[in-house]
Amino acid sequence: MISPIHIISISLGVAFAIGFLGKNSNKLSAVIMLLTIGILTFISAQWAQAFYFGNQETVQIFTAGYKPPFSINLQIGVSESIIILLINSIGLLGGIYLFDTLVKTGKNAVVVYLIFIMSLNQVVLTQDIFNLFVFLEIQSIATAGLIVLERNRNSISSGFKYMIATGIISSLLLIGIVFGYYFTGSLNIADFIQANMMLSKGGAVALFLILASLLLELKPFPANGWALDVYESIKPGTSAMLSAASASAVLFALYKVLPAGNPQTFEIVLGFGLITFVGSNLLGIKQTNPQRLLGYSSVGQIGLIVAILGMKPFLGEKFTFIAIAIFISHFLAKAGLFWLSGIIKADNIRDWANLRKKPFLLVLFGTFVFTLIGFPPFPSFFGKWELIMQLSQSGYWYLVGVILLGSFFEGIYLFKWLGYAIKLDNVNLPEFNINWKKIIPVAIVGVLTYLAGYYSSFFTTGTEHFEKFFVPLFFIAILYFLDFLPNFVKNIIAIAGMSYYGYILLPGLYETDLLRFIFGAIFIVGGVLTLIAGFTYKGQRKGFHPAALMMFAGLGGIIQASNMIEFFFSWEMMTLGSYILIIRGKKSMPHGLSYMLFSLAGAYLILAAFGFTFSQNGISLEALKGLAFAPNLIYGLLAVGFMTKTASLGLHIWLPGAHAEAESDVSPMVSAILLKAGVFGLIILFLSMGAEAAGQNSILYLLGWLGAITALVGNTAASFQEDAKKLLAYSSIGQLGYILFAFSIMTHLGWLAGFTYSINHFLFKAVLFLAIGAVVLRLKTHNMYEMGGLIKRMPFAFIAVLIGIITLSGVPPLSGFAGKWLFYNAVIEKGWYFQGTIVFFAGTIAFLYSFRLIHSIFLGQLKDNHRTVKDISIWFIIPIYTLIIGIMIFSARPDLILKPIGNFLMPYFPTDALSWTDTMAKTRLGYWDGTWVMIIIGIMFSLIFAWLFILSRKATKVEQFNIAYSGERPERPETTHMAHNIYAGFNKAVGFIVTPNISKFWASASENLDGAAGYFRRIYNGNGQTYALHIIIYTLAMYLMIF
Amino acid sequence: MLKKGLILAILIGFSLMFIPLIQNFHGNDKLSDLAKYYTENAEHGAGAANIVTAIVITYRGLDTLGEVVILFLTASVIGFFLKISKSEKDETLRFSKLRKTSELLETATKALVPTIFMFGVYIFINGHLTPGGGFQGGAVIATGFVLMLLANPQFKVNHKVIEYIESLSGFSFAILGALGAIIGLGFLDNKILPLGTFGELLSAGIIPVIYSFIGLKVGAELSGIVETLSENQSEIEI
Amino acid sequence: MSYFSLEYIAMITGFLLIVLGIWAILTYKNLLKIVIGFSLFDTGINIIIVSIAYVKNSTAPIIDSAVSLKDAVNKIADPVPQALVLTSIVIGLGVTALMLAYVLKLYQDKKTLDIESFTDLKW
Repeated sequence: MISPIHIISISLGVAFAIGFLGKNSNKLSAVIMLLTIGILTFISAQWAQAFYFGNQETVQIFTAGYKPPFSINLQIGVSESIIILLINSIGLLGGIYLFDTLVKTGKNAVVVYLIFIMSLNQVVLTQDIFNLFVFLEIQSIATAGLIVLERNRNSISSGFKYMIATGIISSLLLIGIVFGYYFTGSLNIADFIQANMMLSKGGAVALFLILASLLLELKPFPANGWALDVYESIKPGTSAMLSAASASAVLFALYKVLPAGNPQTFEIVLGFGLITFVGSNLLGIKQTNPQRLLGYSSVGQIGLIVAILGMKPFLGEKFTFIAIAIFISHFLAKAGLFWLSGIIKADNIRDWANLRKKPFLLVLFGTFVFTLIGFPPFPSFFGKWELIMQLSQSGYWYLVGVILLGSFFEGIYLFKWLGYAIKLDNVNLPEFNINWKKIIPVAIVGVLTYLAGYYSSFFTTGTEHFEKFFVPLFFIAILYFLDFLPNFVKNIIAIAGMSYYGYILLPGLYETDLLRFIFGAIFIVGGVLTLIAGFTYKGQRKGFHPAALMMFAGLGGIIQASNMIEFFFSWEMMTLGSYILIIRGKKSMPHGLSYMLFSLAGAYLILAAFGFTFSQNGISLEALKGLAFAPNLIYGLLAVGFMTKTASLGLHIWLPGAHAEAESDVSPMVSAILLKAGVFGLIILFLSMGAEAAGQNSILYLLGWLGAITALVGNTAASFQEDAKKLLAYSSIGQLGYILFAFSIMTHLGWLAGFTYSINHFLFKAVLFLAIGAVVLRLKTHNMYEMGGLIKRMPFAFIAVLIGIITLSGVPPLSGFAGKWLFYNAVIEKGWYFQGTIVFFAGTIAFLYSFRLIHSIFLGQLKDNHRTVKDISIWFIIPIYTLIIGIMIFSARPDLILKPIGNFLMPYFPTDALSWTDTMAKTRLGYWDGTWVMIIIGIMFSLIFAWLFILSRKATKVEQFNIAYSGERPERPETTHMAHNIYAGFNKAVGFIVTPNISKFWASASENLDGAAGYFRRIYNGNGQTYALHIIIYTLAMYLMIF
Repeated sequence: MLKKGLILAILIGFSLMFIPLIQNFHGNDKLSDLAKYYTENAEHGAGAANIVTAIVITYRGLDTLGEVVILFLTASVIGFFLKISKSEKDETLRFSKLRKTSELLETATKALVPTIFMFGVYIFINGHLTPGGGFQGGAVIATGFVLMLLANPQFKVNHKVIEYIESLSGFSFAILGALGAIIGLGFLDNKILPLGTFGELLSAGIIPVIYSFIGLKVGAELSGIVETLSENQSEIEI
Repeated sequence: MSYFSLEYIAMITGFLLIVLGIWAILTYKNLLKIVIGFSLFDTGINIIIVSIAYVKNSTAPIIDSAVSLKDAVNKIADPVPQALVLTSIVIGLGVTALMLAYVLKLYQDKKTLDIESFTDLKW
C-alpha cells in the first residue's frame, strides 16, 4: 500500500512540475491534475478497503525518521481513510466539473486546485497541531484563490471578506497553539489531549482559542456572514468544494482536537452547533438566490454535524454511524445541488422551473432535496433516525425537539424550492446548455446517495428484515428507467406489480391479522382500481407511475411493519410518493407545499414519539404499549402526528387544495386511500393505549370532541363550495371527523362503527372522486355552476354519483346506514350525547352538499357547450362499478366483514354488545338486518320509480331559454345560475363556523416566521468589517459563557 | 462615534481574554523536554549546528514544505488573479507617465545587485550553520530584484526563467522529501546523504541542499509577486 | 518574578499590537489600513511566539564557538517557537500579499478604498 505521506509528495511534485510545461499547456496540465487526484483517490480507496475488508490496524507515519513529539506524524485509521476518500473523490468529480473554468483561467489555477485538495488531505491526516494550522492556512489561501475563478465585483469583495474573517480566525488559532505549546511542552495533538490543559486557566484559554477558531472556521451562526457571501457569489463548482470538501476536513480537525477538552467542552460545542443549525435554517426561509440559500443550508447542516460531534460522549457506539450518515448526506447532496445550480444558472429559485425541461435533472434535484431533509431511502434518514433514538435513550428529549425544529425550518425552504422547480407557472423559462462534464459529476453523486442510503440501512437498529421494503423500491426504480414507455404499457406493469404484491401480502394477513388485512385491502385493491382509471391518459405520463407506486409501497409497508423504523420508513415513503402525486396537478404548487409541510411536521412528531418510546421499551411497535414514563406526551405526539394525515380540524388546511387540484385519478388515491394511513396509525395508537385506559384518558376525550367538531366544520364548509372536487375534499375532512370520533369512543361498538365508516368512506369516496374526476376530465372545469343537466349525456356518471351520495349520507338501504346505526348505538352506550348531537347535525348537513352534487351537476339545464359531450371514459367506469359492486355487497351482507371484525375486536374490547343471527345484528337498543333493509327499500324504490315514470309522461318540457334577463346582461353570469351560492341564506346563519380562522392562524404563523427570518438576517449587512466584528463578539460571547 | 465606543468596549472585553494567558505565563527557566531533546541530539540527530534549521528542515520539515507551498500558492493566485491581457500590457501606454529614475540609483543598482544576490546565496547555503536560511536568503535575493525594478521600471524579468527556477526547486524539494520516505526512515529524512562533520559547510545531510532549493524558490516567487504587482500598479495609474 | 523582565515586556507589547491590529481592522474604513491592521496583528503574534521561546539569560540556539555542544542545553533559548515563528512570518507574508492583490482589484473596480462601498451582497 502506498503511504499516505505520498499524497502530499505526489500532489506537490506534480503541482511544482506543472511549471515546466510550456505556455499553451493549460489543458494538458488540467488533465494531469485530474490524473493526480485520481491517484490520490486510489491511494485513499486502497486504505479504506484495507481497513474495511482487511484487518488493517491504524497506522502512524513518522516523518524524518523521528517519533512524535519530536517530529510531525500522520495517522491513518478507519475514519481518516473514509474522510480522505470522500475528499479525494469529490475533488476528482469537482475537478471534472470545473475543468473548463480551470483550463480557461490557466495553469496557475489548476495548481491552486490541486494544492487545495492536497491541503485538505493533510488537515485530516496530520497529528501535529501546528502542522494542522499550516495546512489550514494553505486551505484558506487556496480557497481565496479559487474564489476568484469567478471574477466579478461580488466575488472579489466576498473574497476579501473571506480573507478578513479567516485572517482573524487563524490568528486566534495561532495564539492558542503557541500558548498550548508553552503549557504542554509539545505540539502533538495526542500530547495535548493527555496533558489536561484545563488545569490552569491559561491552558484552558489556550485550548479555548484553538477550539473556538476551529469552530469559527465552520461558519457558526451568526458569525458567518462572510461565508454566505462567498457561497453566493463564486462559481458553484467552488461552492460545492467549500461546502463538501473543506467542511469535512475542518470538521475532522475539530473532531481530532475535541478530546483535549472535558465533558463540558463537548456540551458547549453541542450547544453552539445546534444554535447554528436552527438559526441558519430559520434565516434560510427568506432566501431566493439558490446559491445563498444553499449556503444557509450548508451552514445549518454543518452546525448539526458539529452538534453531533459534541454529542459523542452520550451517543455511544452509534456515534460514528450517525455522524457519517448525516455527514455524507450533506456532503453528496450539497455538492450535487451546488453543481446543479451551476448548470441552471438562475439567480432566483423561481426560475428553477426550467429544470422541467430536463426531467433527468429534476429527479436528481429532488433526490438531493429529499436527502437533505432526511427522507428514505437516503442515508440521512437512517442517520437521523438513529440520532433521535440514541438521544432519547440518553434522556436528552429536549435536544430531539430542537433538532426536529431545525430540520423543519430547512424543509420549509427546500420544499418551497422543489415546488417551484416542479410546478411554478413560469412562462419564460430561460434556456440552459448541457455540458457533459457538468452533468456526469452530478449524476454520479446522485447515484451515490442511493447506494449510501441502501448501505446505511445495515447499520441501523431494527433493519434486519428490510429487504421486503427495498424490493418494491427496486421495482419502482426499474419502472422509473422505463419511463420512456407509453402510459398504457407502464400502467399494465404497475397494475401487475401491485396485484402481485397484494397476492403475496393479503391472503396470509386475513388469517393472522384482520386489522392489517382490511387496511391492506383498502390500500392495494383500491390502488389497483384507481390505477385502472389511469389508462384514460394518452402519451407517456412521465413520472406518474413511480410516484404512485412509491405511495402504495409505503402504504403496504405500513401494514407490514413490525417495528417502529419499518413503520416510519414506510410512512415517509408514502409521504414522498403522495407529495409528488399531488404536486402533479395543475395549480397545485402551494397545496403541495402545505401538504408536505404538515406531513413533515407530523412525521417529526411521530419520530419524536418513537424515540421516546424506544428509550423505554425498545424498537418493536408493541413497545408503544404500557409506557411507564410520559405516556400522555408520547400518545399526544403520535395522535397529532397521525392527524396531520387524517386532516383533523386545525391540521386540515392542506387537504382541500391538495385533493381538489390533483389529477382526476389521483384525487381518489389521495382521498379514499391515503387518508386511511392516518386512520391506521390512529388505530395502532389506540390499541396501544388499551381499552382499559379509555375511561379516564383525557386524550381520547379530546380527540372525540375534535372528531365531532371536524365533522361539523368539514361538512358545513363542503356545502358552501362551488368547486365539485373541493366539495368532495371538504367532505373527506368531515368524514374523517366521524371516523376519528368513532374510534375515540373506544368501545366494541364504537370501533365497529369506525371500521364500517372507514370501509364505506373508501368505497364511496373513491366512487365519487372517480366519477366527478371523470366528469371534470370531460368538461375541463371544476365549477358546478358551469355544469348542469348532464344526466342525459352521462348516465353512468349519474348513477355512480347517486349511489355514492346515498352511501355517504347514510340513508338506507346502502352501507352508510350500517355505519350510522352502529354509530348511534355506540354513542348512546358510551354516553357522549353532546358530541353525538354535533355529529348528528353534521350528518344532516351532509345531505346539503350531497344534494348539490346531483342537483347542480346532473339535473337542470344542459349547458350549450356540453350538448355533445360524451359519457365518462370506460377506464373510469370499470373501477367505479367494481367499487359499486363492493358497496352493494357490503350493504346486503355487512356480516361478511363485520362479524370477523367483531371477533377480531374481542380480545381488545371483550363485550357482547352486538350479536349476529344470520344477517341480523342485534344490540341492547335494537336490531338491524342489512339484507332485509336492502330488499324492502329496493321494492319500495322500484314501485315509486315506476309510478313516477308513468306520471312523468304528463310533465311539460321547459325549454332552456325560457327565461329573460329583462334586457340586461349580468356582469357575473354564474350568479344567475340557481345552483350558484345555493345556500346563501344558510351561510349567513351558520357560515361563521367555517370562516377560515384556522387558515388565518397558519397564514399568520408562516408570516411571522418569514418576518423573523427577514428581520434577523439583517445582521448580515454585507460589510466585511461587521463580519469581523461578529467573529470577535462571537468569540467573546463564547468566552464569557464558558469562563 | 457611538459605534466606535461600542467597538472599543467589545475590544476591551476581548483583550481581557488574554489576561489569563499572561498571568499563567512565568517565563522559562530551562528548556522544555522537546527542546532539550533537539539540543542534546544536535550532532547525531539532524547534524545541523543551527538547531532552528534542524527543526525547520528536518523535524518539522512538513511545516516548511507547507510554507513553501503557501508562497507558491500566493504567487500562483496572484499570477492568475492579476493577469492582464496583452492589450493592457502595451508598453508605450504603460510607462508613459512614469518619471525617469535618477542616474545615481541606476548606477548604484548595477553595483549593488550582484552583491545582494551573492549575499542571499551565502545566507541560504549557510543556513544550517549560522542564523539564516532559505527564506531569509530568498527574501534578500528578492530585494535585489526590487532594487532593479525601482531603478528601471521597464525592466522585465523573464517569466519563463522564474517559472523554471520555481518549478525545479519545488519539484526537487518534493522529490527529496519522498526519497526520505522511500529509502530513508521517513518523509524528509535528512540522512539520505551522509551527515558529514558537525559544523562544516558540507554537513547535516540534505539540509543545505533543501535550504538552497528553498532559497532559490523563495527568491523566484517573491520576485514574481513583486513583478506581477508592479505590472498591475502601472495599469492603475493609466 | 518581575513583570518588567524581558519576556513579559515583549509579550505584553505583542498583545498590545494584537489589540491595536484588531482595532484597525474593525474601525478603519480604508482597505489598505485594514491590511496594515493584519500586519500589526501578525507582528504581535510573532513577538509573543519569540517571547515564549526566551529562556532567561540565554542565547541563540546555534552551536558555534560561543555555545559548545556540551552545555548548549543550559545556554540556548527554546528553538521550537523560533522555528514556528519563521513559518508564521512566511504565512503572514503570503496572506498580506494576497490581500493586497484583492485590494488592487477592488480599487480597480470602484476606484475607492472605502470598505463600506463593497456591500452589494447582504442578507
